[in-house]
Amino acid sequence: MIDIVGILMANIIYVIAITLGGALISWSVHFVPVGGAPAAMAQATGIGTGTVQLAAGAGLTGLVTAGAMMQVTDNMGLILASGAVGAMIMMSVTMIVGAWVYTYGVGCPPASAKVKYDPITKDRQDLYVSQGTEGHGLPTVSFVSGVIGGALGGIGGALIYYSLMSIENGLPLVDLVGMASVFAVGIFFVNAVIPSYNIGGTIEGFHDPKFKRFPKAVLASLIATFFCSIIAVLSIGGL
Amino acid sequence: MSAGGSGAAAEAVPQNKIIAFGVAGGLIGIYAAYFLVDMVGQYMSFIGALGAICGMIWGAAAVRRVASYGLGTGVPSIGMLALGMGVIATTFGLAVGGIAGPIIALISAAIIGLLIGSLANKVLNMGIPIMEISMTEIATAGTITIIGLTIAMTGTFDFPIVLKQVISTGYIAVIFIAGGLAILHPFNANLGPDEKQDRTLIVALEKGALAMVVAGIVATINEGASGSLTILIGLALWYIGFSGYYERVKRDAYVVLGTGQLPTKEELE
Amino acid sequence: MEPLTGMGVLALMGAAATIAGASEDLESDVGSQSNPNSQVQLAPQMMYPHRIYSKAISGEPPSNALMCAIGGTTASVLITAGASAVLALVIGAIVAAAIHGTYSVTAYFGRSASQKRFKQPVYLDLIASHTPVIMGYSFITTFCILVVSYLMVAVLAHPFSLPLLAFIWGITVGAIGSSTGDVHYGAEREFQNVEYGAGLNAANSGNIVRKAESGLRNGIDNSWFCAKFGGPVTGLAFGMTVFLSGWITALFDPTKGDAIGWVSVITGVIIVLILILWNRNIEVAARAAFGTYKEDEVEAEVAA
Repeated sequence: MIDIVGILMANIIYVIAITLGGALISWSVHFVPVGGAPAAMAQATGIGTGTVQLAAGAGLTGLVTAGAMMQVTDNMGLILASGAVGAMIMMSVTMIVGAWVYTYGVGCPPASAKVKYDPITKDRQDLYVSQGTEGHGLPTVSFVSGVIGGALGGIGGALIYYSLMSIENGLPLVDLVGMASVFAVGIFFVNAVIPSYNIGGTIEGFHDPKFKRFPKAVLASLIATFFCSIIAVLSIGGL
Repeated sequence: MSAGGSGAAAEAVPQNKIIAFGVAGGLIGIYAAYFLVDMVGQYMSFIGALGAICGMIWGAAAVRRVASYGLGTGVPSIGMLALGMGVIATTFGLAVGGIAGPIIALISAAIIGLLIGSLANKVLNMGIPIMEISMTEIATAGTITIIGLTIAMTGTFDFPIVLKQVISTGYIAVIFIAGGLAILHPFNANLGPDEKQDRTLIVALEKGALAMVVAGIVATINEGASGSLTILIGLALWYIGFSGYYERVKRDAYVVLGTGQLPTKEELE
Repeated sequence: MEPLTGMGVLALMGAAATIAGASEDLESDVGSQSNPNSQVQLAPQMMYPHRIYSKAISGEPPSNALMCAIGGTTASVLITAGASAVLALVIGAIVAAAIHGTYSVTAYFGRSASQKRFKQPVYLDLIASHTPVIMGYSFITTFCILVVSYLMVAVLAHPFSLPLLAFIWGITVGAIGSSTGDVHYGAEREFQNVEYGAGLNAANSGNIVRKAESGLRNGIDNSWFCAKFGGPVTGLAFGMTVFLSGWITALFDPTKGDAIGWVSVITGVIIVLILILWNRNIEVAARAAFGTYKEDEVEAEVAA
């Protein structure tokens, strides 16, 4: 049997880092403007897909870039930054092309129904909301919020991956990458689902009243990820 | 994609029986495959996939129950959650447990599931009465699925071999998603007011058989497991599952037409 | 690696990703997958039964991840067994497309059969005509994603394995497809019967167009329409994601030192800032061109 306490104490810093990474992912999902199914019919502001899937798409893209960066450097800041940049690029490219479709394909301007004025550009919103809808497209505030969400999610995923890769262990590199990537993906999905239950599947961005609910999801993620991180550290550290 | 209605789903087979079937069938499949591969020969590795299919059917039944309450977001999220929890618990259980690995994996999955289920109700206030039990079920079913498919690929759950042949090679990704979809697709595909339990669950068998075929493809390059028998049995089970499903679709659908016009106005009234 | 080789590989990956994105979107339009399908799903309940292939495979990201993971797994097994990479990727994509076909059929059967009380028939000729098209598109998507993943593993020496990379890119392409191209199908094609230039009024929910240029509209008619705009832009989106996320490190290679690595990060941030400004530009231009939907009540009162 493995020395549970010894491994945990030796790697306590990584347990904490993984837990923080999970909480960051959970927080990041609240920034991502997703309108769910209604947004696909230009019936709600935000991107027309599900929270979990979009967060996962962005975060996992960040994981790919962070994994590539980790091959060539052990500078933690750089690895986290490259994770953030990968996720931000995926998120902003998705949103700009989404804006093309809403504007040129559907013919409606971006508008939010949750606020009267865009907090960033101070533009009037309610006049541009077409009849019978809850807004459509991505006004600047939602776009910026999405970029922030992508960055936080990318940092969170990269932080988890970096911590898992740094645990002391006797594994050859190829096995370690396998273990770390599997745990990172697993922990990512758990922390992408928890906040989407918290916001009921749709949110416009940080200006949305639902954003204020984030402490609950972050708390839930902290508890759940803490447990997962102990398990992960024990599995990798025990080998 | 918003999904689900509100309230409990009608069940022809009570959930307790399905839980017993999933746990017992899954564990028997996992351990039978483990010992029979040693004693009889590597071609017994397919039994692991049969255990996984028991887990998938159980998982699909649990998803059906909890998603009927309406989760506020799509059915797929819960399947991703199940396998996310399952893959963490499986790796841990097999890494530390030795021969008791699958049991430890199931217990840790149950703990994570219960934890997330109670967080969902207590912290996020989702207010779904069966959330705790369903999350526990789904995480455990996901774990059985992952371990079963792993054995079908490698013929064992000894961690060094699993690590080398399944995790480092990345085949764990296909176990994750093929197992996850076998658990969440059945209810998602049959969503609607006239959904029936037996029609939903037979899709789990059919999708489980496909996951078994994929596991068989991987097994062909591993010495400890036999691919051809797994693929053949998988295809046979798929045929049984698909034809059984088609029978139930014909039974349940308003009408099955070769081709034709839409129902007329009079017909609709 | 030579910077020029890196750029060439990246260009190839970008091209493959662009095709993958476009075929992914058209595949979801033929089968009516993901969020716009909620309206197709609702239609029979609102007394509008239809002849559209209603395929709900648990949202696009998981279903594309499944295709790509199965393709990547099969290809990786074949490569281990000694097959050539090109053959392995093709066979992997064929296996993936076949399994995707069964998922599509069960989803169409299941969702239609569960609408018995709304009298939605199950049309077998839709299965026969649409499933091969769906499988064809899914073959193209899977193959292109496998090309991207294989190049990353074999040439760019990415540490993740082929099946895992294929899985991750599958999730990403599905997320992008359902966020971009699907809106063209959901907000425009399904509701061509209402005035252009507005979101779907909740009062029109479920009232999808059911008649085509000739006969009754089906999924193939929808992909014909979406191939003009929704599909190609989805391809651009995924191509840009794959290309730009690799381009910044190909241009400023972090193996030459952390300082250059930071330059690549800054380049990425600048790209994102440019995209934010571009979105703002589109927002201003669209509002100027389309005008408001209603008058400002306060101003109207003052004018009166």
